[in-house]
Amino acid sequence: MVAKSIAKKSLLFRVRLTWVSAIVLIVLVFLFLKVIPFGEATYTKNYATWLKSGKGFIYNFTPAERVDEKSGSLPRLVGDPVYFSVFTPRTFSKAKVTIKYKSNLTEKTPIIEAGVLADNIVWQYELKPVQNNYLDYLDTVWNNIFEPNVNLLQLDKNYSNISDFLDDVRAGTIKDCPNGPTSCLATYNYSPEFNFRLADARESLPVDFDIPLRGAHVMLIYINEEPLRFDFNFVDLNQDKKPDPIQLILSKDKNIIATSDLLDTDGNEESGKEKIKQLSLEKRDLPPGVYKLEIKITDDVVIKNIKASLGRFVFANKVWPVSVGKKLSFFTSASYIQAKAYGPASVQNIEFDGQSFNLSEPYKQFEFASDKQSNFKNIELEKDDVIFENNGVFSFSGASLFNPLLKKVDSHFTPNKEIKYVLANYKSPDEGGIYKVATAEFNVKNAYREQGKYSFMLAIPGLKADDDFNDYLEIKEIKIEFTGRNIWQKIFGINK
Amino acid sequence: MENNKLSKQILTKEALYFVFFLWLALIILEMLFPNIVLVYFNLNYLFLLIIFLSIFIFIKK
Repeated sequence: MVAKSIAKKSLLFRVRLTWVSAIVLIVLVFLFLKVIPFGEATYTKNYATWLKSGKGFIYNFTPAERVDEKSGSLPRLVGDPVYFSVFTPRTFSKAKVTIKYKSNLTEKTPIIEAGVLADNIVWQYELKPVQNNYLDYLDTVWNNIFEPNVNLLQLDKNYSNISDFLDDVRAGTIKDCPNGPTSCLATYNYSPEFNFRLADARESLPVDFDIPLRGAHVMLIYINEEPLRFDFNFVDLNQDKKPDPIQLILSKDKNIIATSDLLDTDGNEESGKEKIKQLSLEKRDLPPGVYKLEIKITDDVVIKNIKASLGRFVFANKVWPVSVGKKLSFFTSASYIQAKAYGPASVQNIEFDGQSFNLSEPYKQFEFASDKQSNFKNIELEKDDVIFENNGVFSFSGASLFNPLLKKVDSHFTPNKEIKYVLANYKSPDEGGIYKVATAEFNVKNAYREQGKYSFMLAIPGLKADDDFNDYLEIKEIKIEFTGRNIWQKIFGINK
Repeated sequence: MENNKLSKQILTKEALYFVFFLWLALIILEMLFPNIVLVYFNLNYLFLLIIFLSIFIFIKK
């Protein structure tokens, strides 16, 4: 009897020791996966496999109406853009995204890009190339010089190395290009050092710009040795829950020169009570050239007016005039505009470059193109609260029109006789069987992360879910390799 | 023969304790670090195992 009891206790002890150790071990394994002590982790989602034991790290594509999951065994992206988020147990500094896909796209959608949400205030994604059909084509017919992180495509072989070409771009005089780099050089995913010079930069008097603009805007200012001072009046609409900080960033060639910040600490969010806010930015003794002034605000804030020390400025890529209360006329450098009425009251006919276009529905983006070859095109609208976007600049004054932007090989690129050079940081996707494999690398050190998730995007400009074309991008696999500091670098505060 | 039966009984009960305490430990871990377990493994499978083992022990009694 006693022997039996001892045997039972001995067995019980051994069994319990085993399972308690197993639980401790399993918990330690999960803690190891949380800390990722070596600073490297790879997460993969293969859409061809059906077995799922957990939620997985890579979440499904959204919005659902831009993804067709019924027509085939793999998800098909039928609209642009499509988002997905990736959960990571900790933060990382770099992410290498590898996408295995099959393209059933038409020539109307020559570009595929991947992006990571870099800024949640202005909702800005840092985009990197996946596939660019224009560059793939030019690579076969033009002369191509490869160097790490940049390649130069040229119609005629005027340059034998890229550094000579970059020196000439910096100086503003490239071979076989009498009108300067803005006329015959196009870029993609690469910004060369380029000092734009305005041919007849006359003295510019201070201006009071009083067209209210809603949300974030980017101004390009041409300074010709005069002091720079911008005084902004903002209206915080307090219509949504989030705080509305305001930030002004003055930069040149990606180098920040001055910043000015105003935090939103009054706690009136969602009250509907409007609040006037002021913020200024001043900088003297700046060498002549084009400077970028980013006005980082949420869509809950309106730039009521701007008092500027000079009138030589344009808005890059986007304008959103609101509460003007009168007919509005302004200019753009691009041959197309993407327009979205922000409410039913803004539905109207828009005059663009002498042609009338119907903005027939609210909250839907329409694209209107002009086939005329003029440098600047006029836009006229009866009612405001319309968001205008394109790859050029916008100006509200005919006297201050200038376009310092180099042409981009984006989805609106039109190859013409003038373009003789393309500078790009691009690698064509690998073609292995029916699926292509493309890789994009991102710096995610300062990327926006919410609830442990990074937000990614796949952009196929021009792809529409509600058209009659059966065009899509089929995704087979997404692999994301994250790298960051290892545990020793974290403990000793070494940055990576 | 009797010893063997005893061992089987002990092992079944201990298996239930193991699964239950593992489930509890993983839930605590999940509460401390959200998503850390659920991304790999669905805890409902463990919960189902607990129910099956409990029913099995109850029937055998």
